[in-house]
Formats: sequence, structure tokens, C-alpha cells
Amino acid sequence: MTTQELGVHDKQELKSQEATRPGRAYVPDVDIYETSEGLWLWADMPGVDEKSISIDLTDNVLTLEGQVSLKDYENLAPVYTEYNVGNYVRRFTLSSEIDGDRISARMTNGVLELSLPKSERAKPRRIPITTS
Amino acid sequence: MALFRFLPQLDPVGGLLTLQRELERVFETPLGVDLGPSGRGVFPAVNVFSNPDGYVIRMEVPGIAPEQIGIECSGRTLTVRGKREVAPPAGGSFHRRERGGGEFSRSLQLPADLDLSRAEASCKHGVLTVRVPKKEEAKPRQITVKAA
Repeated sequence: MTTQELGVHDKQELKSQEATRPGRAYVPDVDIYETSEGLWLWADMPGVDEKSISIDLTDNVLTLEGQVSLKDYENLAPVYTEYNVGNYVRRFTLSSEIDGDRISARMTNGVLELSLPKSERAKPRRIPITTS
Repeated sequence: MALFRFLPQLDPVGGLLTLQRELERVFETPLGVDLGPSGRGVFPAVNVFSNPDGYVIRMEVPGIAPEQIGIECSGRTLTVRGKREVAPPAGGSFHRRERGGGEFSRSLQLPADLDLSRAEASCKHGVLTVRVPKKEEAKPRQITVKAA
């Protein structure tokens, strides 16, 4: 399997719609991986803790929102900067194969890990062939 | 350079917007201080701030446990090393792959009036913070005026 090279690209600002919260929102980098059991999603949201994240699934639209605390930036004057600090927002449309009740999420070191299990109906099944 | 203060409890909106304005202003006029050649695009992204006590260096290192980050100082150079593991469970395939993995190393050259031997580092929610205090002799000092 080829691996994605480690690098940093400029944070993309979310401009397509008016947000309900003030401040700017950036699009987090996301990996989406599918196994026969379901989907896995990882989103890089550095600076977001488990209490400042909201995950919402409505009409198959999954919305991830992370709030960044600015408390640590008090009394600091920028000298050299490469990235902007702001909240994270990203939306995905899921297929109806996902079992919404069994979605689980975990936040570790600024990475959100979501497990989106497929509903029983959508799992691949092997159909046995009987010889007569 | 203007020192700006946040009072989030009074005005969270203004605080966030001020920070973003300041960061953008620095983007436009980069390198207020010579930190060596720019490493934009190199992982991890770095922001350097100053306060009266010294410098505060922030790096975004999501997905890396604090014990997997190594920091070295030599002369005026601060080097941060580590490895980011991106290992999905076996037997599937990627639909989207935007996050990278692998080893990284990044060096910053800091001004000579900082005391790297007293630097302290902490890592919280994927953000590494290194605080480097100024040398005692570089700190502002009050001189009392004696009556002659």
C-alpha cells in the first residue's frame, strides 16, 4: 500500500456558506477507509479537545465541528506564522447503509476517530451454492 | 509589532478575529525575526509568538502522542523529531486520503538572546508548545534613579 507523504498544505478556509458561529472555519484533513464492517473516518483537528467537538448526523449528512480554545493565545504577539488558528467544520453525505445508532467517536491527540458501522442489510454476504 | 491581548471572557468574537487578523498580517510581512530559511509546507507547521518572558513556539502535531516527540537543542537550534503513524485496520481500502504519515524532523534557529537550556515543552490535543525564556540579561530592567 502506498502511503501518503507527510506534509502540510495551507489550511483551506470554509467560505461556501454563512456559519452560525463567528470566526473563521477551516476544513480539517480527513481519511476515510472502508472495510466490510463499515467506514472509518479520521480527521486532524489539532487544538480541539473531546468536549469542544460536535458530531451530528441528520438526513445522512454527517457534520463534524471542532472549536478551538483561544485561551492559550493570550498576550502573545506573532513573530513568524505558517498556519491560521480557527475552528474546524466539515460535512459529508453518507449512504443510507450506515447504521446511525451505532456510530462511535473518539478523540486522541487532536485526531477525531469515527467508526461508522454498516447496517446488517448492507454487509457483504456470501451466497452458498448447493450442488444438486 | 503590536502586542495584542485577548479577553475571551469579555469578547470571544473579537478575540478570535483579532488573532486571525494578526496572523494574516504576519503572513503578508513574514520573518519579523530571522529564523533561518522558511520551511513552509514542511510538517509540522510552526507558529512563533513572543511575550515579555521569551518565545512561544507552537506546532500542529495531530495524531502524535507526546512521548513520541523528541526535542533537541544545540546552540541556537531547536529540533523537533517524531513519527506519525497512520495505520488503518487491515482488509479495507481508502476512499479519501488526505492525512500523511511517516517520520519528520524540523529545526528552527532562534535568536541569540533566548536561553534554550531553560526551554519547556508540553503537548496537548495535538498542539506542541515550546516555551523558550529570554536570557536574564536580555530581560528589560528597571534602573532606579538615585538622588545625587
